[in-house]
This record gives sequence, structure tokens and C-alpha cells, in this order.
Amino acid sequence: MGITALQQTTEEASSLGYGGSVPVGLMVAEMPPVECLHLDHVVQTVCALESVVLRSFGPEGGQVLFTRDTGQAMLSRSGARILTALRLEHPLARMVVECVLKHSSVTGDGSKTFILLLASLLRMIHKMACKEPNVSHTYTSRQTAEASTARHLADKILAFALEELDNLIAMGVIPYGCCLSWEDFTAKKHLSGPSNNDCVQKLLKSFFHSRLGRSHCDFISKLTCELLTHWKFKRDQPSLSLEFVNDNLDALHTPVSGFPISCSRLIEGQVIHRDFATPCPQTEQKAVKAAVFSGYLQPKLLNAGQVLQLGCGEQWMEENSKNNRSIVQFSAWTERSLECVFANLQSLGVSVILSAVKQSAAVLSLAAQAEMCVVECVSEDELSLFAQLSGATPVSDCWMVEPEHVATLTFCRPILLGAHRYVHVAFNDSEERVTVKPCSLVICGLGEGQTDQYTCAFRDAIRMLLSTWEPMGMTATTASKRTLQSTKSTSSHVDQIPNVPPFQQCGLQPGYVIPAGGTFEFLLHHALLQNGTSCSASDDIVTSGLAVSQLLANALLIVPRQIYSHSPRHFLQAQARFQTIIQNHSHPFSLVYKQEHSSIFGESAFPLEEDKLTKHRFEADVSAKLFMSDSGLESVSCKYQLLLAVLQCLSSILHVDTVLHTHTALHTQSRRLANTSWEGTDDETED
Amino acid sequence: MSRLSKKSPSLCTDLPLDNADICKKLDLLRQLLRSCFGPTGRLKQVHNNIGGHVVTTSTSSVLLPAISSSQPFINLIKTSILNHVSRFSDCGLFAAILCLSLIEQAKQSGLRGNVAIRVNKHLLGLCTSYLLGEDCGCKVKLDFCSSQSLITLARSVISSKPACVLTEPETLHISRLAVQAFLLTVPCSSPGIVSLGKIVTVSVEGHGVLNSAVFPGVLLDMPDVFTVDQLENLPSDALRMVLFSASLAGDLSELGDGIIEVHPGVDTDSQILDQLLELGKQVVKDEVKLCVCQKVIHPVLQQYLRGHGIIVVERLGITLMEPLTQLTGAQPVATLHTTIPAKAYGRVRDLRIRTFGFKTMLHLHPPGECVICTMILCHRNETMLNELKGVCQKTEHVLRLTLREPSALLGGGCTETHLAAYLRHKSMNEIQETVSVLGCSQTECLLGVEGFCRSLEAVAAALEHDGGSSLMDLTHAHHWSHPADVLTEHMEDSLGSCGCGLVESSPNQKWTYLNSKYPQFSPAPLSEDASVQPHVLDSFTAKLNALQVAVETANLALDVRYLIQDVN
Repeated sequence: MGITALQQTTEEASSLGYGGSVPVGLMVAEMPPVECLHLDHVVQTVCALESVVLRSFGPEGGQVLFTRDTGQAMLSRSGARILTALRLEHPLARMVVECVLKHSSVTGDGSKTFILLLASLLRMIHKMACKEPNVSHTYTSRQTAEASTARHLADKILAFALEELDNLIAMGVIPYGCCLSWEDFTAKKHLSGPSNNDCVQKLLKSFFHSRLGRSHCDFISKLTCELLTHWKFKRDQPSLSLEFVNDNLDALHTPVSGFPISCSRLIEGQVIHRDFATPCPQTEQKAVKAAVFSGYLQPKLLNAGQVLQLGCGEQWMEENSKNNRSIVQFSAWTERSLECVFANLQSLGVSVILSAVKQSAAVLSLAAQAEMCVVECVSEDELSLFAQLSGATPVSDCWMVEPEHVATLTFCRPILLGAHRYVHVAFNDSEERVTVKPCSLVICGLGEGQTDQYTCAFRDAIRMLLSTWEPMGMTATTASKRTLQSTKSTSSHVDQIPNVPPFQQCGLQPGYVIPAGGTFEFLLHHALLQNGTSCSASDDIVTSGLAVSQLLANALLIVPRQIYSHSPRHFLQAQARFQTIIQNHSHPFSLVYKQEHSSIFGESAFPLEEDKLTKHRFEADVSAKLFMSDSGLESVSCKYQLLLAVLQCLSSILHVDTVLHTHTALHTQSRRLANTSWEGTDDETED
Repeated sequence: MSRLSKKSPSLCTDLPLDNADICKKLDLLRQLLRSCFGPTGRLKQVHNNIGGHVVTTSTSSVLLPAISSSQPFINLIKTSILNHVSRFSDCGLFAAILCLSLIEQAKQSGLRGNVAIRVNKHLLGLCTSYLLGEDCGCKVKLDFCSSQSLITLARSVISSKPACVLTEPETLHISRLAVQAFLLTVPCSSPGIVSLGKIVTVSVEGHGVLNSAVFPGVLLDMPDVFTVDQLENLPSDALRMVLFSASLAGDLSELGDGIIEVHPGVDTDSQILDQLLELGKQVVKDEVKLCVCQKVIHPVLQQYLRGHGIIVVERLGITLMEPLTQLTGAQPVATLHTTIPAKAYGRVRDLRIRTFGFKTMLHLHPPGECVICTMILCHRNETMLNELKGVCQKTEHVLRLTLREPSALLGGGCTETHLAAYLRHKSMNEIQETVSVLGCSQTECLLGVEGFCRSLEAVAAALEHDGGSSLMDLTHAHHWSHPADVLTEHMEDSLGSCGCGLVESSPNQKWTYLNSKYPQFSPAPLSEDASVQPHVLDSFTAKLNALQVAVETANLALDVRYLIQDVN
């Protein structure tokens, strides 16, 4: 086919609305546009993402201000949120973002580190691939050779990590950390002992520091701890109460804008986010009885599809129809039935009615006359939480109100939070929840954007705690499956999905934490290097085994390097210090030294306390308590899951070699739009 | 038809606070708001591009929503301030100017963002603990035994809104009315939880401001004057009244979604009307003298009721329902087929017709002590009236805030200069501890303190619009303004008294210009002289929150490192 003919076809096609976006010269008949993905492009794309994320990474990082498409200004330091706000076009970048979102929706944490590690690994692989492209001559170009080397490396790292990483962490990192067990956490609360509660609070503190900034992390982490203490189920599984809070957070929190964050607080009982529809009770704090209705109290005279025939005195009876002489008698009947319902409610002593729907004016009027107050349009979540906490079941048939439908409340009164008046209820203690004191969270912020940000951080903190206490093996496999599925569905062209060996249940116990500020990365770096040297002596795949360990070890250092980015001197100091600590003790894993190490790390490693860095001292006092300084903590299992997720993402993006731009009916609608999309992606890769 | 459209990538800006364009916009906003601040502030006219209504204002709650910017920075600050104003009704411009000055000062000082944020937060902590403390030198306890300090507080709020265009006696009149209305809403004898009443505001255009008045009870619009002669025959004690919340027009709303087939010869309308008249009969039998309906009443029923000497008011609207139930003790009736229970009836002590300009209103006197009152506001034209209405609502809110915290802050810029002097002194004395807590160097800390204090002083200086200069005395650290065109040999002759009016100038006093270097000193507390009362007072609660909001917003803005704008 000649070029002219080709052009003609294109024009015809575009006039018909097909393939209008294809630049004419490039078109191969009936083929969608093709974009070859070179390793350089991949590295550039991920580095571009890294440069955005870096602005809010680490102790010196700040917030990112973004506008929603509604024009509302939002602030965030959450990596996931920032990446979503970018609205990227490049398919590869979108695939990476998808992986990050999948990961952070599970663990609630680590999205910024994800991008950092991914970029670092890609750069390392790129360097290696350029240095020694695959020796085989079957490849047509240098670039294909590079890509294939990179792919091999990525697969090897993933395979290595899936097999060895848990052991390495168990040997090289865990001995320096400490274990937070849930039982301790809950037990200590009773005695109000300092140590373990402190650990949870420090874990939360470093999380909130990375999400909200330094100024508020203390306050918010204390508040979270308090909330968790109140919602602690005595006899249940450890993570159950975290899951409960996670599931019910929407009903449990009230955002209030216009106040500084320091006004946030816990309040007893539940806040129902509606106002009284009738004049509210003027009573003092006293016990009241409440009933929950899911439907209308006043019977509907006619349902849809029913026919009412009004005749002249004759009795007409039809299917699904009611009949009488005058219409007035029908409405009189509904009112009388309503009176019966209220009489029944009054005999049960009910004085508060919670309703899921809007009730009629007659209901409100009768309720006011019966001195009951009505709350309408309560959301389903809130009603189910109310039912759970009060132990009463919602009434479905208002003719059948029984004592088990009636809940006893300590009080029910209006509460003014910000601009809105809500209904505030508190519950009697029941036997099942001796230790649980139901409470709700009031989150104050300057604007809606801020309260949103704080709420998201809260939710993610709970997720982070949940994944800290989850057994590691299980989450790793589920996470890997999820990541792979996601990449499969989003990438336009994936060569193959790497075989994931069935994950073995590792010996790591849940709940391990380690001082924040690069400790995990330094320790794992060391462990990986040592593993590399031992491999080289015994293993049969000598060179690559060593290379893989080294590559991973070096790539990890990006995290502490960025944490200390404001002064490279501090990074070197920190690295040197870890080296001496590990080397000075010939048996680094022996328990004898455990406490000492921990205290040293705790004292000096956390970068938030810059002043402490300069005057750190190596306390040889073994009796020093674990983590006595105000350093933060990080969860080992979150870090482990993060690393695996990054490696899976890495291998899946390196398996892509071509992007096919296909056009669905959506794009063919407008030629211009589709055209810009092509140009947009082109630009981005050439950046 | 819904159409899917492609999302275009977002617009990104790295380190936005270093961006000249954004800085220019922030500066513009600061100048705009600064020029509106205080009793002599300049007015702004807001009008839209399609020839709508022109609004003349200087209040932040009207001005800020009118400012629309594509710049998310502006929107961030705007929403923060507006949220504060919607909660506290006062000190919006104070917060905005302070916030923008803090951002500017932090940029000028060249401090690292994180250091500036930490210092600001520390200083805010010092401020709040000083203001909440017992020995605060710029706080006055409000005396509820006399209305004087409440009137001063109300007057400060009202006079700070020049767009109301009030003369001095008018300002005083409105301030008195505001305090009177507020006092009427506070129940006298109610043990336990106190629930405040409500002020119903009625605005009358084209009448002099001095005709404004406050009445206990509720005033209802009376479109027809037929009832006037009926009123004369009424006994003036405890009239029975009924209040309907359902429509009495003969429609049946709660029937459902089904279909009604009406056979020829059946007159449903008359059946329903018969039922309504049954209701009317009961009302007449129970000797009701006033019948009020939230919605519409059928003309036949109206006629019937009037014929029996009952005063009928329809189309009341939902907003007046709650005040009316509180006033009369009536329970709204929405059932048309059942007999009205005796306890659903309410009582009114007296009914009067009052006229204001073109408005004729029915005045319902409460039967006993009542927390509902009506405020009639009159002004010459609509724009000024709207502004006055807004100001009165704000004043009511500010007065209510005093119930929770019965104190006020010195106005006229004196609180700001006093705080600045206190902070300079305090942070100098505790520099070592501060530095170790904040983890920064001594120079950085001092730079931060200087920036914060200058921002506070900038707010005080913003009160001056006529080219005069702002000064501060070196004993009490109060704010003084020196007119531009007065030249005297001795400064004390031209100064008179300080911004809040507590300190008189005397020959042995020393002054310094604001934003100039002066030796730090501890501001001396004022002598306990009951005869001197401050002339200008600011709401304590509102200002404290405004201070916190301003500093927190500035800190958020300083923390922003990257900007992503969704352009979809």
C-alpha cells in the first residue's frame, strides 16, 4: 500500500470516526499506534514521580497543596493521595500508581517510600544493564538487550526476596527491634504502665509525622491511643477492636471545621449526625428509652401499583385495592393507626425515636404531643452502630414493637459541633463490653480539606496498626496476589506474569517494631551484604546471587539518604555509627546485646531530633529501658510487605515492552482529544 | 446525556512560596483586606459581571466569598478564615491579616520552613497560655451587673463595620438594642441547663435607624388589615391559640404512590372541605382566638373562622414555627381527623397591631417569661440595611460568646502590641530553653520571634488608614495612633489616649514607632482604676480562636512544598 493510499484510508476512517488519532505517517494498516518502552523511559518516568513525592518525604518534607476538580483546595502529605491528584496519563506511570494505591490501601502506609525504592532499584538496574548487556547476540538492538537484562535482574531479585527476605529480616533486623504484643498493649492499659503503650504511641507518632507533619504528631498519636483504649474488647481477638474501629470510623468521627486541630477530642457515647426533627428534650442528664425504626410510621394508604376507586356508596372490591365511601375516611384510618402505634410506644416508655427515613408531619406532631423526640434520616451505618452498642434491634413492623426493640440510653441530648447541631447519645454499660467505653472522635481542622486530611490519616493509622499485628506470611501472599492482579488489569501489554512460588510461612512473629529513621534499611543493607558474601562461597549461581544481594542492599540506602537529605554529613555519620555498632559486637544477634543496641538506636537514630544527633552518647548502660528517648518506631512487617510489593511492581513494569494505544468509542467521539493524548504520552516519555 | 471526557493531567508547581506570581497574589490579598480593617476601613463594592446587585461592604464574611481565585493558596487561606468567621462571627479580618503577615515575614526572614513553623507554634502556645492566664494584662473581666461593658463590646463590633453608615448616636442606639435583645433571650429563672432563646429579625427599609426597636414576643406579618377591628373586642388576657404544621388547603399529601380513580358524582373536594370545617368547628368550640398555620388555609375555612371572631394567620413559614411554639407553648397540630387535645393549644397574653413604615404586624405578647424577642431594624436603603442586619446577628453571637467566657480583650490594637511586647520579653528571657526545645539555633529562634511580633504589630498598624503613624508606649505597650496632619512639639499633646482608651498620654511617657527596634521590656499591668473604662473591647473567645486559626493557617501555607492543580 502506497503512502497516498494509506493517507486516503486514514482520512476515510477518520471521517467515519475510526482511528482519528493516529498520526498519518506512522500508521500501519489496522494496527493501533505502538510505543516501544525502553528502559530509559521507564527510569525517567519513575524518577519524575519520585521528584514529586520527595517534596513531602522525611522530616524536612512538607505538604502538597492540591485542588480537586471541584476547585476545593486540599493539603496532603499522603503519597497515595498526591499520586492520585497528579492525574497521570502515561500508562506506565499509571500502572505504578495503581500498584502504590493497592499497597497503601492494605497497609495504609509506605506509599512515598514505595516510589523512592522503586526509583532507586530501577536506577541500579539501569546502570548494571548498561554496563554489561546480555552477551547473547540474538537481540536485534542494544536497547532490547538492556531490557532483557533488566527483566532478568528484576525477576531474580523478586525470587530472591520471596525466598530469603523473611529469613534475612529475622536474622538481621528483628534482634534489634522489640515486639509489641497485643496482649501487652491491652494489659498495660489497665495498669496504665508506660512502656508498651508508649511504644504504640511512638509507632503512631512517626506515622503521623510522615502524614501530618511534625507539629501535630504528638497530639494526634495520643488521641488515637486514647481512642483505641476506649474501644478495647476484652475477650475478643486482638485485631478485632482495630477492625471494629476501622469499619465504623465513618460513624465514629465528626469533622468540625473552623477550629484549630488542638480542639479535637473524644466524647462519650455516639454522635448521630442529624438534628432532632421535633423540639428537643429539655431534660437534664437522665436515662431515656429509644426505639429504632427503619421504615415509615404512618402507613401508606396506597402503594405504587394499587388502585383506589371512589364510588358513590357502592362497594367495589378489586385486587390490591381498598375501598370505601369517602377518601377522608382513609386518611382518618391512617391517622388512627398512627395513634395506636404511639400509644404502644408510650406504654413501653419510649421517648426517643430514631428513624432511617423522613416521617410525615402527622408523626412529628403526634410525637410532640406524646413528648417524644424524633430524629429522622439517620444513616444506615450509624443505625447499625447504634444497634450494636445499645443491643436493641431495629423495628421493621411498627405494629409489633416489643421490649427487645427498646434501648436504654444514659442520655440523649443535642450537641453543637461547629455549624451543626447533632444528637448525642450514651449507652448503659452492658456485660459484654465491660472494658469498652463507647466514644466518638471529634476531628477539628481549619477547613474541610484539613479535617479530611486528618480523617484519612486516622484511617490509615488504624490500617497500619492492623497490618503490624497481622502475621507476616499471610499478608505477603495476599498482597502479592493483589498487586499482580492489578498490574495485569491495568497494563496494556504484559508479556507474562512471573511465577510466584508459594509463600512459606515464615518464623516472623507479628508486632515487631524498630526505631524509625532508616534503621530498618541500614540493618537490612548490612544483612544483605553479609548474605551476598556467604552466597558467593557456597552457591552455584555465584555472581548473580552476589549481585542481586548487593543491588538490593544498595538500593535500600536511598531511604536513609533521603531522610538525611538536608545534611549529607548526618547520613554518613549515621551510616558509620551503624557500621561500628554491628561490627563491634561479633555476635550481633545475641540477646545479651539486644537491649544495649536498641537503646543506642533509640537515642540517636531518629532524625527528628537533630539536636540529639550532635550530642548523642553511647550509653553502655544495659539496664537502660528500651526506647526511652522520644524516637519514633516503625513496623517491621509493614516494611517487609512494602519491600515485597515494590519488587513485584518492579518486575511487572519491566516485563512491559510495548504500549499499544487502542481507541474505544469514547475516544473516537472527538478527534482532537485523542490526538492530544498521543502527544501527551509522547512528551512525557521524552522528558 | 452524560458524557465521559478525558481527564487532563494536573498542573504542578514546585516550591510555590518561592514563586513570584503567587507571592504577588498573596500580597495583593493582604493589601485588599488590610484596607478594610477597623472603623475607618475603606469600603469595597462587589458586583458581578452580569449586572447583578452591587454590595458595599468591608466585612470579611461578605468580602471573602466574593474573591474567587484560581490560586489554591488563596482558596486555602480564604476557607480557613471563612470557617472561623462562621463559627465566631468576629475577628475575620484580624485572622486574615495576621496570617498573611506571618507568611510574608517568614519568607522575608529566610528561615527554613520547618524552623519558622516550629517557632510560630511555640509562640502561639505562649500567647494562648498568657491570654488564658490570670495575670493577663490585656484582658478585662466583663461585669454582668451593669450593661456598660456589654454595650461597649457591642459598639466595638458595630462600629468596626463602616458600611452600615451609622452616625455616633445611631451606633449607640443599635448597640443598646443589641444588648437589650441579647438580655431578653437569656432566661432568668431556669435551673440546670440554660437554653437561650431566639431573636427574630425583621428589616424595614426606608425608615430612620433610630426607629429600630426591640420587642419581647413575636411579630407576624399581617397582609390584610381586616382583623384590626376584631382585635378591639378581644379580652387582653391569656388568649387561646392553635398552631397547625400541616396544610389546611384541602390536599391530602400522605396518600402514597397509588392511583385514585374517582367515579363521576363523587365530590372528593367537598368531602375534604367538610372534614376541614369539622376541624374548624372544634376550634371554635374550644374558644380559640388565634389560628396560625405554617402552610396555606382553605379560603372557606378562613372565612368560617373569621366569621367566628378568630384571627387567622397563614403561610407562617418553617423558621417562625419553633419561636412560636416556645412563645405560646402550643404543640403543632398535623392531624386533621382526630380531635385536637387540649394540651396542644397555646396561650398568648395580648395581641397588638404595630406599624413600621409600610409594614403592619401583629404583635404576640408572651403569656409569661419568654426568651423570644423580635428586633425591628430600620435603615435608609437596602444595601446598608443588609449590612446592618448581618452586623446585628454577629453582635448577638459575640455577646452570646461572653456567657461561656465572661471576659473581653482590649481593642483598638492594644492587645496586639501588648502581646508582641510580652512575647519579645518572654522569649528573650527563656531563649536557652526555647532553643533546646525547638531544636534550632539561637539566631533562627530570634528571627522567628521577630517575624511573629512584627506580624502582630502589623495588624495593629492596619487600623490606621489616613496616613497617620502607629506608635506604642514603652510602659504598658498599648497602641496609639498619631494623625498625619497634626504637628506639635510634644507628642503627648496630640495623642490623647491609646487605642482602647485605658491609658491617657502623660509627659513622662515614652513612645516608639511600630516596626522599629526598641529595647525589650515587660509591659506593666494597668492600675486597678474602676473609674476608667475601656472604650473599645474585642471578643475574647473569637480573638483567641482567630489567633490560633491565623497561626495554624500560616503554618500550613509555609509547609506547602508542591502544588498540584487539577485543571479538569
